[in-house]
Amino acid sequence: MQQAALSVSSLAKSYNGRTVLDDVDFQVHRGELVAFLGANGSGKSTTLKCVAGLAEPDAGRIELDGQQLAGLSGRQLALARSTAAMVFQKIHLVPRRTALDNVCAGGLARVSGLASVSPMFFSRQLREEAMACLDRVGLADRALEKVGRLSGGQQQRVAIARALCQRAAVLLADEPVSALDPNAAEHVMALLAELAHEENLAVAAVLHQPELAIRHADRAIGLLHGSIAFNAPVAELNEKILHTLYSPERNAA
Amino acid sequence: MSVLTEPRAGKAAKSWNTASSAPAALRVPVDPNRGRKRMLWVSAAAVIVALHVLAFAGTDFDPALLVDGWQGMARFISDAFPPNLDWETVIKPGLDATLVTLWIGLLGTTLSIPSALVLAVLASRTTTPHPAAYQVSRSILSFFRAVPDIVFALIFVTAVGLGPFAGVLALICHNTGVMGKLWAESMEETDQGPQQALSTAGASKLQQIAHGSLPLVIPQFVGLLLYRFDVNVRSSLVLGLVGAGGIGLLINQAIKSFQFDTMLTHIIIVLVLIIIVDQASGFIRRKLAV
Ligand SMILES: Nc1ncnc2c1ncn2[C@@H]1O[C@H](COP(=O)(O)OP(=O)(O)O)[C@@H](O)[C@H]1O
Ligand SMILES: [Mg+2]
Repeated sequence: MQQAALSVSSLAKSYNGRTVLDDVDFQVHRGELVAFLGANGSGKSTTLKCVAGLAEPDAGRIELDGQQLAGLSGRQLALARSTAAMVFQKIHLVPRRTALDNVCAGGLARVSGLASVSPMFFSRQLREEAMACLDRVGLADRALEKVGRLSGGQQQRVAIARALCQRAAVLLADEPVSALDPNAAEHVMALLAELAHEENLAVAAVLHQPELAIRHADRAIGLLHGSIAFNAPVAELNEKILHTLYSPERNAA
Repeated sequence: MSVLTEPRAGKAAKSWNTASSAPAALRVPVDPNRGRKRMLWVSAAAVIVALHVLAFAGTDFDPALLVDGWQGMARFISDAFPPNLDWETVIKPGLDATLVTLWIGLLGTTLSIPSALVLAVLASRTTTPHPAAYQVSRSILSFFRAVPDIVFALIFVTAVGLGPFAGVLALICHNTGVMGKLWAESMEETDQGPQQALSTAGASKLQQIAHGSLPLVIPQFVGLLLYRFDVNVRSSLVLGLVGAGGIGLLINQAIKSFQFDTMLTHIIIVLVLIIIVDQASGFIRRKLAV
């Protein structure tokens, strides 16, 4: 198999002396959608945040597209990290700006000069690339609409288009569909699977519902108290494993 | 589970079980801190009363004086009526000077936008590049806020002489302090999500602020700007009293030469200006809110 787009080994993280991640190892390859499952507080978000640079790991190695993050700093680290794009449950777009301007912002790492300060100065090249990204998520016809006027599902697709405009190899999604109605959730999950299978991206998505993982993901990684308890194709998920991952008496610990 | 099937509060359980139509009642638990809370209220009230006694004494507060001196006030007011409505000597100079007051307020507000914006970004915990920059910019804002605009005006009058220019400079300084603080606070209250999302996309700090934070706060910023314009027009009136030009200067001259009827005309003009500015900025702020 080819080299993993995202490779994490011995990742550890604690908050105020409480261990949240303990010796986490996993890989995500291009072309696959991996679902992260686990009870609330099991460390799924923290894992993605460590990769995206929103949390500082205590120990461990993170490799993105073959490049080690350890040893990099400042601008170089930011650029290496931009190999991974993140999509959030709360979407985090600017509602007052158009879908197109929001998508263009995904390419800011490649931008300099006045365009750093205002969307007025985004180059034609960047706009055209952003249009293609919007088209990929099926929203080219809404490009000039303010994001605040779009539905939740459409907003999440704009956020995915922004990630595409980042030219990322790895797409990290933290509960991307938890705030959406079932229809929109299905649509967004299908889109994420398509991006993995057709655009050859490595997609890692934290999912709240195991059924969504079973329907759309290729592989599932189950976290239990900050350690990986399951890592196999979704076909191997069964009641017993899900019970272990979500069982209440274990969460009370 | 067992707690629900075996109620411990005897009385409450009985009334719950009787088939009467009265609603079930449960004794309200006694707040163990009740005594302490009451003490706290009583002492807070005592402190406030004591402070007011001291304040009355410190300000020679004496309503009797006001009653005794009402004739002086009545004479002053009766001298002011009817207002002097002479076009050439009163109204026209009054309108010209009012326009100057408006210009002082306008420039004092708009020319402080760049400095207030830079300091607000540095002085907001969510956007500051460094804790040291945060502390320094907070201190600068506090200083400009603490020094009243009238003190700045007196300082600038010594540098650039009497006139509206000194007033504009004074307002720029004071307004930078106030507006920078207000903007920094509204920046700290806004959602950091978009800024965070752009940081994961490899955007620089400046790009994160320009494309993730500032666009979220623009409505609040414009609202505060209009509010400050409103306040600054009124401040520039007072600045006129210390020689910084505008209608304030004319009002001061009228009082000093006992032309109270002229003063009244000027005050009416000012009143109209303030109502117009207030209504206009209120209208725009309402439009922005929706
Ligand atoms: N910034 C933080 N400060 C302190 N504790 C945190 C922080 N972020 C997460 N935690 C704790 O780490 C644990 C794992 O959180 P998280 O990764 O968000 O779990 P999940 O996404 O699986 O629900 C939780 O117990 C949470 O309280
Ligand atoms: Mg989470």
